[in-house]
Amino acid sequence: MTDSKPLTGGGLLFNVLEQHGVNHIFGYPGGAIMPIYDALYDSNVKHFLCRHEQGAAFSAVGYARASGKVGVCMATSGPGATNLITGLADALADSIPLVAITGQVPTAAMGSDAFQETDIFGLSLACTKHSFQVSHVDELEKVLHQAFEIALEGRQGPVLVDIPKDVQIASVEQTFKSVAPLKNKVTLPLADISKALDLLTHAKQPILYVGGGVGMANAVEEVRAFASKTGIPSVSTLKGLGALDANDTNYLGMLGMHGTKAANLAVHDCDLLIAVGARFDDRVTGKLDQFAPDAKVIHFDIDISEINKRRKADAPILGDLKENLPLLTMPLSIENWQVKVQQMKHDFSWRYDHPGEQIFAPAVLKEVSELMPKNTCVTTDVGQHQMWAAQHMNFDEPCNFLTSGSMGTMGFGLPAAIGAQISRPHDTVITVSGDGSIMMNVQELATIKRYQIPVKIVLIDNAKLGMVRQWQDLFFEGRLSETDLADNPDFCMLATAFDIKAKQITQKSEVTAAINEMLDHDGPYFLQVKIDAKDNVWPLVPPNSANNEMMESA
Amino acid sequence: MNNYTLIIMTDDKQVVLERILQVTRYRGFLINGITAKVNTGNNIATIELLVSSDRPISLLTDQINKLVDIKGVTVDNNASQQPNAKKYSA
Repeated sequence: MTDSKPLTGGGLLFNVLEQHGVNHIFGYPGGAIMPIYDALYDSNVKHFLCRHEQGAAFSAVGYARASGKVGVCMATSGPGATNLITGLADALADSIPLVAITGQVPTAAMGSDAFQETDIFGLSLACTKHSFQVSHVDELEKVLHQAFEIALEGRQGPVLVDIPKDVQIASVEQTFKSVAPLKNKVTLPLADISKALDLLTHAKQPILYVGGGVGMANAVEEVRAFASKTGIPSVSTLKGLGALDANDTNYLGMLGMHGTKAANLAVHDCDLLIAVGARFDDRVTGKLDQFAPDAKVIHFDIDISEINKRRKADAPILGDLKENLPLLTMPLSIENWQVKVQQMKHDFSWRYDHPGEQIFAPAVLKEVSELMPKNTCVTTDVGQHQMWAAQHMNFDEPCNFLTSGSMGTMGFGLPAAIGAQISRPHDTVITVSGDGSIMMNVQELATIKRYQIPVKIVLIDNAKLGMVRQWQDLFFEGRLSETDLADNPDFCMLATAFDIKAKQITQKSEVTAAINEMLDHDGPYFLQVKIDAKDNVWPLVPPNSANNEMMESA
Repeated sequence: MNNYTLIIMTDDKQVVLERILQVTRYRGFLINGITAKVNTGNNIATIELLVSSDRPISLLTDQINKLVDIKGVTVDNNASQQPNAKKYSA
């Protein structure tokens, strides 16, 4: 704010954002948030105008996940606020720290069914970690600081702050001139590890099961040290990808519904499962009572409500993974088990000898992974391409693979990539999308154009809602209900309309050159990869089946 | 169905009762009765919540405990629920 103007609620918002190190926010203006956008005019915070509030929310999510900072998005009341909800629900389900600011009609008008009034505070209850409605400007500063603390504390998550228009306009004095940098506070004592130690030292066939909590606990180094020193074979959830070194001989890849055969068979056979920052999600376990049926469980988590929620833990360890895991890091003698799982890994390795000239998506994504620069950040949408990316690409760190895990939100990939690129302008950012998903937030191509964001878009195009089509073929007698997208737009023409360089490839012989051209291009690039519409994602654990009962072909 | 009586201590903050009811419904518990009072001296509310479910009560108490304004949740094993209390889903 300039010194000549009295500080308003709107100005105070940006002062507090700056105190928390927020440099970039994503949003869309409207009537009930105009005083905040007026204050933005004088602020040092850089605002990115997205073309839909859901795009703003997912850009903030991508920003948070790629950078480890709190993502911030804002929207006006009514439809602006409700359009944020999918992004908030996604952030809650994947434990992403987010602060969402919504404008609200003036306090005097609240509850009168005013124009663009909706009870976003009430709507937020099921899709945020916490939420506030600021009823007086004197509460605003404290509430905003609390919002950042809650978003980051313990198991991270989204916090919504609803600010009525009169509160945004009202004059206010700022109390806290500076704030201490926030950390992910953990106040829990060191855990009792004696039971876990006993299980670990007596295990003959242990498996390390790594989830998204590892990256959030900033414990990648500790988990890799544990895997390396103990030599325990390891598997990863979708959100845990990047936490383990993909080149480790004892790393078996992703487990679960579309996990590797080696990972699922090893977990099925193990006698001890060490879950770190993972929560026994149904996509991981398959039929729950047949998941790792002979295993004892050591469960590390920061959230007590995850302990014993779906699988009883024989040794629960509640607290900071970074502090607790080193207490169990020791050499073990499990050579026979290592030999067995390494043999499975060899026997069931991926094959890329797809017949015919049509492009095989797994091979394309493997090649993108091999050619992309170190520390590239990859985002995905949801569907077959997402699972192929998870199976066939390798990532340096969890912050380099951003995918909507729990919520499975189509439309995530493009805006998340925009947020990731803004947070890390010097790293390559690639979004892998599908022809169904890309249309969910396609308006964000305009955001790419507006700010010349050099995101690389790899569109895996089978002119289908491929994953649903696959399930209809396998489990609904081939009754293909509403999954054909043969009338898709001309994607290259669409991208070109947003000044994005575009190319379509249809033959295997075109793949390498196209990937190199995309990666060498300075600006945004749209690579449309036409694939065989009949290709399925394998392996697949059918519904209500154990993970060792996976299908490997139709 | 198992019946439980929960004693919830909470800061008297905005919509805290709605939050508790939302979590209770979402986690699969029916509400058989509720009483709530606020100590205006310290702004701490005490909520007695009678619930029933086939699910283990820890599933609910762990989730209520996670709510930001909650001070604590205990399961009152000595309390008996009214047998004819009207049941409704919150």
